[in-house]
Amino acid sequence: MRSPAAAIAWEFRQRHHWGLIALAGYLLVLAVIRPGIFEAVPRVNFDDSWSFAFVVVVPLTVTFLYFVAVFSFGLAGDLAARQSIYPARMFTLPVTNAALAGWPMLYGSGAMVLLWLATRLLAVWPSGIVVPSVWPALLAAALLAWTQALTWMPYPLPGLRVIVAVLGLATMDAVVLLAIQFRAPESMMVAILAPQVPLAYLVARAAVARARRGDVPDWRGRLARRRRIADGPPARRDRFPSPARAQAWFEWRQLGRSLPGWVAILLPFELALLFVTGGFPELVFLILLGVLLTPVFMATFGAATVRRSNPHGSDSHGVPPFIAARPLTTAALVAAKLKATLWSTLAAWLLVVVAIPLGLMISGTAPVVVERARRLSEAIGTPRVAVIVLLLFAGLIASTWKQLVQSLYIGLTGREWLIKGSVFGTLALLFLIGPIAQWIIEHREVQGGLWDALPSMLALLVGVKMAAAAWIVTRLYHTHLLSDRALVTGAVWWCVSVLTLYGLFAWFFSSPFFPRYVLMLIAILAVPLARLSAAPLALAWNRHR
Amino acid sequence: MNGGLKIMTLSEAVISVTELTRRFGATTALASVSLSLPRGAVYGLVGANGAGKTTLIKHILGLLRAESGSVRVFGLDPVADPVAVLSRIGYLSEENDLPGWMRVDELIRYSRAFYSAWDDGYAEELLQAFALDPAAKVRTLSKGQKARLGLLVALAHRPELLVLDEPSSGLDPIVRRDILGAVIRTIAHEGRTVLFSSHLLEEVEQVADHVTLISHGAIVLSAPLEAIRESHGGASLSEVFVAHVGTAAPGPDA
Repeated sequence: MRSPAAAIAWEFRQRHHWGLIALAGYLLVLAVIRPGIFEAVPRVNFDDSWSFAFVVVVPLTVTFLYFVAVFSFGLAGDLAARQSIYPARMFTLPVTNAALAGWPMLYGSGAMVLLWLATRLLAVWPSGIVVPSVWPALLAAALLAWTQALTWMPYPLPGLRVIVAVLGLATMDAVVLLAIQFRAPESMMVAILAPQVPLAYLVARAAVARARRGDVPDWRGRLARRRRIADGPPARRDRFPSPARAQAWFEWRQLGRSLPGWVAILLPFELALLFVTGGFPELVFLILLGVLLTPVFMATFGAATVRRSNPHGSDSHGVPPFIAARPLTTAALVAAKLKATLWSTLAAWLLVVVAIPLGLMISGTAPVVVERARRLSEAIGTPRVAVIVLLLFAGLIASTWKQLVQSLYIGLTGREWLIKGSVFGTLALLFLIGPIAQWIIEHREVQGGLWDALPSMLALLVGVKMAAAAWIVTRLYHTHLLSDRALVTGAVWWCVSVLTLYGLFAWFFSSPFFPRYVLMLIAILAVPLARLSAAPLALAWNRHR
Repeated sequence: MNGGLKIMTLSEAVISVTELTRRFGATTALASVSLSLPRGAVYGLVGANGAGKTTLIKHILGLLRAESGSVRVFGLDPVADPVAVLSRIGYLSEENDLPGWMRVDELIRYSRAFYSAWDDGYAEELLQAFALDPAAKVRTLSKGQKARLGLLVALAHRPELLVLDEPSSGLDPIVRRDILGAVIRTIAHEGRTVLFSSHLLEEVEQVADHVTLISHGAIVLSAPLEAIRESHGGASLSEVFVAHVGTAAPGPDA
């Protein structure tokens, strides 16, 4: 390696080469489907917002977040710790603080600028949109640079880093949104954003210098008395009644608090929007919909942590010996994760359920919701409204939990190739789903054919699901990972859940358009079985390599 | 899962490894290793770094599945019956990967839930002896303090089998002395067994009754320490190591 700059660049490239390959693949596909570059490829219509979102906005956002995580060293650091997340191993390198802060910032900013320019050049933008050339690149670079500066800084209290970073970045976002709202010219946007990277660099250099000399302020002593109170009553220090409860506590403390934490951070910002609805009921309900979907959406990110066997380890995929050597069955280890995710889901939803009425009352928008509820109640009856609301919440809570646990069977295997392949497959699916949906929407004959084939397709999917479940249950039985009683109990609970869901579907969709057997097939597909049952097999494969 | 009910006599082997072979890609980590450790003594597993000591220990704990050959601990398969095996073992990992976010008292409270034989008095005694602050976060402890805490957790349930994987590696002499003291305290209880992996031969010499020398995945020597000395004309373990492996054993900081 000829220079420190080259060595730092090499490390980024080497550690994330699969991500870079995936990004290159995405850009290649964008280039292929862009009219005018490869004439043989049929033109893809991007005027539809869904197609555009799935093909451009979602991959662009995912790549942006990935770059933020990579160049801030957020993938390896502990965001909640007081210490800087800048890798301590690099502090011993014979380079200046300026180099330690500057090179990752320069590479990150460069990557962001290139990402924007490539997307602007290669993506097919909906007609009528004037795509700015400079300021989005500057915004992306500035957001990354400030993320780096704020996360590399040592903080006096655990968790303060997340709060400061979210507030700082949200403020910058708000300024840019206001500028867009007031149709600020590109020159003004550039004037606002251009100084951000140098300013962030100065802060980052100070942060690295401080972290490098071990100067981590500590305010914990000032909060010691409060912490003793917060630690709870003496009962918390009693013995755990069983190893399973101890392990569930372990999982909750390690992973469970992140989802409620993220929801708690986002809710005030979302509910604050209720103050600017101008009395439009549609806006109020749109904001409420966003609030209700927040736990489900955040759970998709939380799942990435839950499914890792070793969230805090450098080898994040293998089961750490500390856990692998617990005298606990593999099924009990998985059960502890499932319990912790359930608590996590309920805690997140408790926040939502408490925050919504508070937000509506404080913002003065409660009468809008009450009035709509009254009208609905008059139309279909109060009991039915109550049942619908309860079912809505039950469905959203179940979806949140499902998001958290449905990929456990992949993550717990500890096999990097499987985990990364699954992420790649999901992104590819996400990439394709928009154009396919658009194609279906544009072709009525396709819609007709799909509608006719729907029962067969559902039956095929049910067949695949049940065949997979049968194989998994057979493996669980032969490997003794689950007791016979647990298998039978699980099967009974699954059947009860499916029948309950079917009953609800039959009650709601009582129409000749939806034959009962179709509703049953949908109920079978909706209740998790195969993937959840595979989690103990996956963990056993990882724990006993 | 009924193996846990199996009654084991004192004469039966605590650990029985038969023709165990393990490969990682093209590398053979263990080559037809057979080993039998009867109850009630201290066994030193010595070898250079990368010789296969940790791989063998991971098989004994069930963290690696035997590709060929068999591993039995207390007469049980540690992969098929992890609860029955691991609840009778105290293990201090080479990696010492205690969760950094826990406080010392939380780790003790958490760990004791898994062992019915956990001795609160003994845990408190060790806490005092090792001068550990119960309110300290694990991540704030020094390497030596972490090793002591790991040792406390491994010892406080008075395990039938204590497995220490390179416990002294990179530690100062005072912590190493504590670890050796713990080994001596453990064997003071009748019928308990210690498997002690190390490349620090002088330490092994101090406490081991029986030495197994492993090199390139194969056992090259396994016998009582006294018998080894006698058969090598009273040579030290370091000299025996050189005679069998061809190089000197690494030093304390390796």
